[in-house]
Amino acid sequence: MKQQIQALQAEFIKNKYSNILWATFIAFGLAPIMGGVFILIVQDPDALAKAGGLAAKAQAMNFEGNWKSYFGLLTQAVGVGGVLVFGFVASWIFGREYSDGTAKDLLSLPTSRTKILNAKFAVYVIWCLALVVSNLLIGLLIGTFLRLPTPETNILFPLLTDYFITTFLTILIGVPIAFFAIWGKGYLAPLGFVALTLVFAQIIAATGYGSYFPWSIPGLYSGAGGEYKKLLDNYSYSILILTCIAGYLATVIYWKTADQTK
Amino acid sequence: MEIIRTNSLTKYFGTTPASDNISIHVKEGEIYGFLGLNGAGKTTLIRMLLGMIKPDNGNIALFDKQLTPQFDQWNDIGYLVETPYSYPNLSVTENLKVYYKLRQLTNPKLIDDIIEKLKLTNYKDKKAKVLSLGNQQRLGLAKALMHKPKLLILDEPINGLDPEGIVEVRELLKDLANKGSTVFLSSHILGEISKIANRIGIIHEGKLVKELTTKELTDQLIKKIVVKTSDNTKAVQELLSSNYIAALTDNDEIEITNSEAIAKPENISKLLVEKNLPPKQVYLFTEDLEIYFLRTIRNKE
Repeated sequence: MKQQIQALQAEFIKNKYSNILWATFIAFGLAPIMGGVFILIVQDPDALAKAGGLAAKAQAMNFEGNWKSYFGLLTQAVGVGGVLVFGFVASWIFGREYSDGTAKDLLSLPTSRTKILNAKFAVYVIWCLALVVSNLLIGLLIGTFLRLPTPETNILFPLLTDYFITTFLTILIGVPIAFFAIWGKGYLAPLGFVALTLVFAQIIAATGYGSYFPWSIPGLYSGAGGEYKKLLDNYSYSILILTCIAGYLATVIYWKTADQTK
Repeated sequence: MEIIRTNSLTKYFGTTPASDNISIHVKEGEIYGFLGLNGAGKTTLIRMLLGMIKPDNGNIALFDKQLTPQFDQWNDIGYLVETPYSYPNLSVTENLKVYYKLRQLTNPKLIDDIIEKLKLTNYKDKKAKVLSLGNQQRLGLAKALMHKPKLLILDEPINGLDPEGIVEVRELLKDLANKGSTVFLSSHILGEISKIANRIGIIHEGKLVKELTTKELTDQLIKKIVVKTSDNTKAVQELLSSNYIAALTDNDEIEITNSEAIAKPENISKLLVEKNLPPKQVYLFTEDLEIYFLRTIRNKE
């Protein structure tokens, strides 16, 4: 356990001054700001008339000026945008060792390769959780500032539950990206994989089979697919969990056994 | 005790042999220089020694223990493979802290000590990305040496260092070997390796073509006496009649290759003066180490 903690501390030192860290918070933080703009538009009929495209988007999403609608938007940002942003985080954490040329320095140490990977996965989870908590706090600030009507306490709990379950599902589906970073020895392969999964997630969800495509599941759960959320069943969650486990095992086995020539 | 022992180590990348049946034995306290052209297979061998690449055939023992996934003496080994890279946004101290943690070390003084030893004190708070090539190399060496390993495996350790840095690293490695550490280093510069190593292995196209001590290397270098007189043709005749093996070169110089002549060149001068052919020039030519190296690998082709 001590080795695992020290590996985690080493990962924290590595990420201390990462510009990417702040870039992901800024990118992910656009969602609650966008939600705030929607609130302003729907709260003001004149603005609604002038806002054009944004107003149309807000109306298409049946966006209303209340906490339920705002939380729904934040949850969808996690389920859809999270696949991209969390994927970017995973690509960075695992791919940087090859881009920085430091991967070879992690392979022949008293701390095992598996523990080093576990530390990276832990940083990935912590980073993603920090992103969603940050969005939640920004959302609460904006919602309070824009004087959204005080919600009934009984709707808050299910909204928060949906938000964090979507987070959990999105984090799980980001795990296989680590394999592509290590196999592709850098950022390109995992980022390409993220882009592909995003495209396929949209297409497959639109055809009605998204409940069996792991990368569509967080988005569907978040409500981004509307009524398709009802299609999610135990098989859907099992597929997602199995994809996560397969991704983790592939990453560990590949890093432990493949020839490391870079 | 043999610190490194490889037995018929073979590795192919596709159909190209990167390491072909290599067996080497490195004893405790020895500095073993591994020499080869770029692409000869030096780095592949080093990566195999460090468990980064699995051999197709053969085996490796470090400290008399087979190198398997269960090998647990990594803290007795320090290494530097190819270009030493560091985390660019971290300072020298922070970079070392990362490996301090991953090596499970418990004495924070080790970081300051190695910074001082490798003369990085003025740069310890500087980010790695602003370091010069030479200081990046020093940082790479600091990572390899910080935990005072018993075995150092260094791939081209003097790359990028200035002459002063080269001398410092040479002295540092010699000092470590004197204190009982074993050093295995690769280079493509024979001249440099011959100044550090006790024993040298020459690799070419994945094969170990020669293994010799520094003394044997010195003995194997071609040596000859080169002479110039006012009448070289006549001088050659006089030398031949005195049983010297002498020949006139295209440069109009006389080359004498007898071991007796090489041992006592003053006898040549004396003989030529007596024959009224006083030498304008007499010097002992020793084959350049690089030429010896190229000659060795070409003979094996």
